[in-house]
Amino acid sequence: MEEAVTPNQHLEAVDLVFALLFVADTPSSAETLASALGFTVGQVEQAVDVLTKRLRKAGPLQLVKLAGGYQLSTRAEYAELIANFLKPQRQRLSRSLMEVLAIVAYRQPITMAEVEEVRGVQSDYAVKALMERRLLQEVGRKTVPGRPVLYGTSAQFLHQFKLNDLKELPPLETEMPALPSPE
Amino acid sequence: MAPRVDLAERRDRITALGVVAPPPIHITTPTFDGSLATLFSCVRDHKVDLLGVPLFPICEAYFSYMLNTEMRDLDEAAAALVALSYLLERKAWLLLPVPDPEPDFDEPMDAIEPSIQEFSYAIDSLRLWYEERSMLFFRSPEAGPDPYELPYTLANVSVGDLARAFERLLKRASPEPMEPLSKPKRSLQDQMQAVLLAVGTEWKTLTQLVTEPFTRTEAVYWFLALLELVRLGKVSARVVGDDVEFGREDLADQTTPHGEFDPGH
Repeated sequence: MEEAVTPNQHLEAVDLVFALLFVADTPSSAETLASALGFTVGQVEQAVDVLTKRLRKAGPLQLVKLAGGYQLSTRAEYAELIANFLKPQRQRLSRSLMEVLAIVAYRQPITMAEVEEVRGVQSDYAVKALMERRLLQEVGRKTVPGRPVLYGTSAQFLHQFKLNDLKELPPLETEMPALPSPE
Repeated sequence: MAPRVDLAERRDRITALGVVAPPPIHITTPTFDGSLATLFSCVRDHKVDLLGVPLFPICEAYFSYMLNTEMRDLDEAAAALVALSYLLERKAWLLLPVPDPEPDFDEPMDAIEPSIQEFSYAIDSLRLWYEERSMLFFRSPEAGPDPYELPYTLANVSVGDLARAFERLLKRASPEPMEPLSKPKRSLQDQMQAVLLAVGTEWKTLTQLVTEPFTRTEAVYWFLALLELVRLGKVSARVVGDDVEFGREDLADQTTPHGEFDPGH
């Protein structure tokens, strides 16, 4: 049996980072990897850069930065093959769910009543459905009469939309679309 | 019935709101000096800011009135209590924290009211990203079946065979007895232990395993427990004729009947 390898031995930092990312089933931050390997965050980030370039050259995997960490994924070219193999259950997001998700993503923390105010329709079902899909989460209570629940997006939201953090959301439209002029 | 004189006197004390006026309880606070009825009217008409009026002297005056008047007039006492309750409730609402004032915009008239149209570009972007993300597969439980769940083969025991065996069992079930609404919750874990004891060292059909009388609920519990034991590899199944027989997992190793269900291998 081969001896266990420690970071100080002969393996390259890139391979060590690769090994940890290969087994991780959630995004791992540079800090987490650094702590596990006994490296500095800078060393880990360097290793991640090298690994990203190495994977880009060949192979079915790629390194993705999302939800505040790094995670290995398969390349998009292999999507059809893998989907046929794994037969994953696709969860469709309806227009109403997307609306609620977008409102919460941009206005969080936000109450149900505030979501409904923007949409103009009742939204409790959509919020509940998004909570069940772990895309939304309760983040506290608003200090107003009734202390309504405040909702925010979850790490799962970042993961499902391949976002590293909320700053990557596109800016909201600041101008209303112009109405067609009367003929 | 109250004497005619009492009714006449009382009519004088009925206010414009149709209720008996509170008794003349005098209140002296640093910010208000007057009767309870006056304070009540002023607060109701927003003429006095209740936040600046301490409630302790008012409550003290009320209790003093209650102790000293020997409760001669219940209507008056009730009116005083109503007035005091109103003041307490109003003050409680006023003391609740209020949200921070909205920051002033440079050009408040240009600020767009929130509306769903504002989010349409963001929604389209999110939808696109969701589609892109669905092309990527990660090592995660959501990407597919649990990689550590051992696969098992059903050999020639089909789902239909199991369903027919279950149907035969259900036909023999007795009607559910009438029970109180709060039925005790049954644990599938306990049922699995009972089933494991019943599944002996020889092959038995479902009908042989479950002894009568039993209800439909019990039949369902038996069947679910058996399925779970099959999934866990503790019970094997095989098709004999048109029925399914179950036995302990080690039975499957000892005999090699055709159509044997051998979980975990």
